Amino acid sequence: MKKTVWGKSLLGISALALGLTLAGCSTGKTADKSTSDKKVTITFWHGMNGPYAKALDSIIKDFNGSQDKYVVKGTAQGDYTALQQKIMAGAKSKSLPTISQTTYTTVPDYVKNGFITPLDPYMIDGADKLSASDLKDIYPAFISSSKYQGKYYSIPFSKSTRIMYYNKTLMDQLGVKMPKSWEDIQAMAPALKAKGVMAVGFDKSFDMELEGLARQAGNALVATKGKSFQANLNTKQTLEATHFIWDMIQKGEAKTAGEDIYGDKAFTSGKTLFYVGSSAGVSHMKTGAPKDLDWGTMPLPTYKGKSATELAGNDIVMFKSASTDQQKGAWAFMKFLMSKKETIKWAEATGYVPLRKSAVQDADFQAFLKKDPTSEASVKSLPGGFQSTAFIGFTEYRNNLLSAVDAMLTKSETPEKAMGDLQTKTKQIIKDNN
Amino acid sequence: MINEKPTIKSSLKALLYLLPMLVITVMFNIWPIISSFLMSFYKDYNFYTDEVGGLGFDNFLYLWNDPDFHLAVRNTLIFVAGVVPTTVILSLVIALLLNQIKVFSGFFRTVYFLPFVTSTVAIAMVWNWIYHSDYGLMNYFLGFFGVHPINWLTNPHYSLLALIIMSIWKGLGFNIILFLVGLNNIDKGYYNAAEIDGANALQRFWNVTIPLLSPITFLVSVNGIIGSFKVFDQIFALFQGTPGPGKADLTIVYYLYQKFYTEYKYPVAAASGVVLFFLILLVTLVQMWYSRKHVHY
Repeated sequence: MKKTVWGKSLLGISALALGLTLAGCSTGKTADKSTSDKKVTITFWHGMNGPYAKALDSIIKDFNGSQDKYVVKGTAQGDYTALQQKIMAGAKSKSLPTISQTTYTTVPDYVKNGFITPLDPYMIDGADKLSASDLKDIYPAFISSSKYQGKYYSIPFSKSTRIMYYNKTLMDQLGVKMPKSWEDIQAMAPALKAKGVMAVGFDKSFDMELEGLARQAGNALVATKGKSFQANLNTKQTLEATHFIWDMIQKGEAKTAGEDIYGDKAFTSGKTLFYVGSSAGVSHMKTGAPKDLDWGTMPLPTYKGKSATELAGNDIVMFKSASTDQQKGAWAFMKFLMSKKETIKWAEATGYVPLRKSAVQDADFQAFLKKDPTSEASVKSLPGGFQSTAFIGFTEYRNNLLSAVDAMLTKSETPEKAMGDLQTKTKQIIKDNN
Repeated sequence: MINEKPTIKSSLKALLYLLPMLVITVMFNIWPIISSFLMSFYKDYNFYTDEVGGLGFDNFLYLWNDPDFHLAVRNTLIFVAGVVPTTVILSLVIALLLNQIKVFSGFFRTVYFLPFVTSTVAIAMVWNWIYHSDYGLMNYFLGFFGVHPINWLTNPHYSLLALIIMSIWKGLGFNIILFLVGLNNIDKGYYNAAEIDGANALQRFWNVTIPLLSPITFLVSVNGIIGSFKVFDQIFALFQGTPGPGKADLTIVYYLYQKFYTEYKYPVAAASGVVLFFLILLVTLVQMWYSRKHVHY
C-alpha cells in the first residue's frame, strides 16, 4: 500500500516535471528551428484575416515556390491590437518571429527596446539591395515613414489612404456639384442642412482628417526638428484646421459616427452627403450600400489649395533575435512583397494601394481600375499622401489625441482647451522619451 | 489515522501530496502577485531586459498626480455602488418569486441564468444595439413614456449608467441561483413556528428569511464587490476598445490595461494594480467586520 502511494506520487511529480521541461523547450526553440530538408524557416506574424489573409497566404505560397532556400510560415495573430500584444509577449519571453507586421509608429519604441534590426545592410548595401530606381519608384511617403533616425527599419506593406465617398443619387436630387475643396463643402453645408442633409460624415474620431487639414494649413501635428520633435497641436494653423471640422459639427452640418464607429451607415442611409473614410472600406461599402444607391469615391478635397491624405496601415519589421540566414531570407521575402508584380496582385485582391508608381501605371492595373473605378480614388491620392511623424511614446500620444477629439465631441470642449491640453501632454512625452 | 501524531515523515508525505497544487499556485498566483508588487516600486525599468534603475515611490506619485487615475478610481467606485446593491436586492426579489412558483420555475431559472453563461462580447454586442440612439430598443421603450432619445453610448453623462445597467443584468443569473440554494436550505420548521406565533408574511420575511439567508447575502455581496472592482471586459466590448465617451467609463483595470498595453508604462500599471488590490482588501475587511455582527451561520 505504502509503496504504491509513493510510486504514484513520484510518477505524478516526474510527469509534471517532464511537462514543464517540455513546455520550456518548446518556447525557446521555435525561433531558429529549421525544417528537415535544410530550408531556412522564416516565421511571419501578421494581423490579416478573412479575404486579406487568403490573399497573403497565396503570396506566401508564391514566394515559397519561387526559390528553394527559404520557407516563409505566416501565422495570423488576430487583429492589430492582439498582434501588438503578442509581439510584446514574444519579446518578453524571447520567442519573437523573424518578421512581423506592425504599424510604423511602433518602430521608435521597438528600436528603443532593441527588438528590431535596421534593414540597411540588406536594403541599401547588401547583394540583394533595392536599386536607386527601386527606391525612387516606391512612393516617397512610404519610404520616408520606413526611416527612423537615418536608418530603414520597416518596409511598407498593407497601406490604405483616406478618401471621400459621395452619394451621387442624393447629389443629383439636391442639385449639388462635385466639390473640389473643403471650402466648397463648407460653402454648400448651410443650404444642405436646411434640406435636412449633413454635408460630411466622419468616422467615430476625426483625428486623421484633422491631421490632414493641419498639414494643408501648413504644419504637421508633430514635426521632426533636427534630431528631436516639435509638437504643433495648438499652433494657429492646427487650431484653424480643428475649428474647420469642429465648427461644422457644432453647427449640425457634419457629424461623427459615434456608436456606429464607421460613418458608412449614416452615409448609405442618406444622412450625410459625403463620407470621409478609409479606402480599405470600399469593399465593405460595396456589400453594405443599397443597390439603388449610386455612390462613388474621390480623393480628399483640397484645403487652402493643397491636397493631402493620411496613409494608414501596416509595415513589416525584422527582429534582431532572428539568425543571419533567417534575416537574409526575410529580406528576400520583403523584397518579393515590394516587387511590382506582387504589389499589384496584393492591391487587386485586397483594396490596399500598390506601393510603386510603376505598379500604378502598369497596363494591367489600369485595366483593373477601369473595371473597378471606386478603387481609383485611393491610388490617385497617393502622390499627396503623408504619414504622421513617429516618435518614442507615439501610442501614448495617439491615445491622448483620440481623447482630445473625443472631449471636443462628447464634452463640447473647445479646440483651444482640448488641443492646448494635448500640446502640454505631448511636449512632456517628447521631453521624457526623445 | 486522524489521531496520528505528525512526524517529519508524515509531514513530508503530506507536502508531496500538496506539491503539484503548490507548484501551480506559487507559479501562477503567488509569484505574479509578488512580482507585480515589486514592479510597482521599480524606477527606470526595462521590461524586456529586466534592468531596474532603482526602487522608490515614483509610480505611486505618478498615480497620485494623474487626473486620469483619479477619474478611474471615481468611476470604479460609482460602478461598484451602482451595481452591487441593486444586483443583490433584485436577485433576492427574483429568487423569492421563483421560489413561490412551481410550474415554470425551471424555465425561468434557465432564462435568468443564460446571461451568465453567454460570452461578454456577445452580450455587449446585443446591448450595443439596444442602446443605439437612433434605432435602439431602449430609446424605443423610453419613447412610450415620453422620454426623449438618449445617447446612451456617446453621452458621457449616461454611458456609465449604460454600463451599470448591462452589468446588473449580466450578474443577476448567478446570484439568483445562489439565493435559491439559500432559500431552500432554510428549514421549513422556522416558518411553521413563526406562523404559529402569529407572524404575518412580512414579519416572517424580516425575522426568518433575512437572518437565515445572511450567509448567502454576504457571499453574494463580497463576490459582487470584488468582481465589480475588477470590471474591464464589459467596457472593452460595449465601447469597442475605448474607455467610453469622454473617458466616462475609465475604470482602474481599464487604466491598468492602457498603461500596460498602449503606453508601455509597466511599473505604473503594476502600481495601479497594487492600489486596486488594497482598495478591494479594505472593502472586504470592512465587510468581514460587519459580517461578524450581522451574519448568522
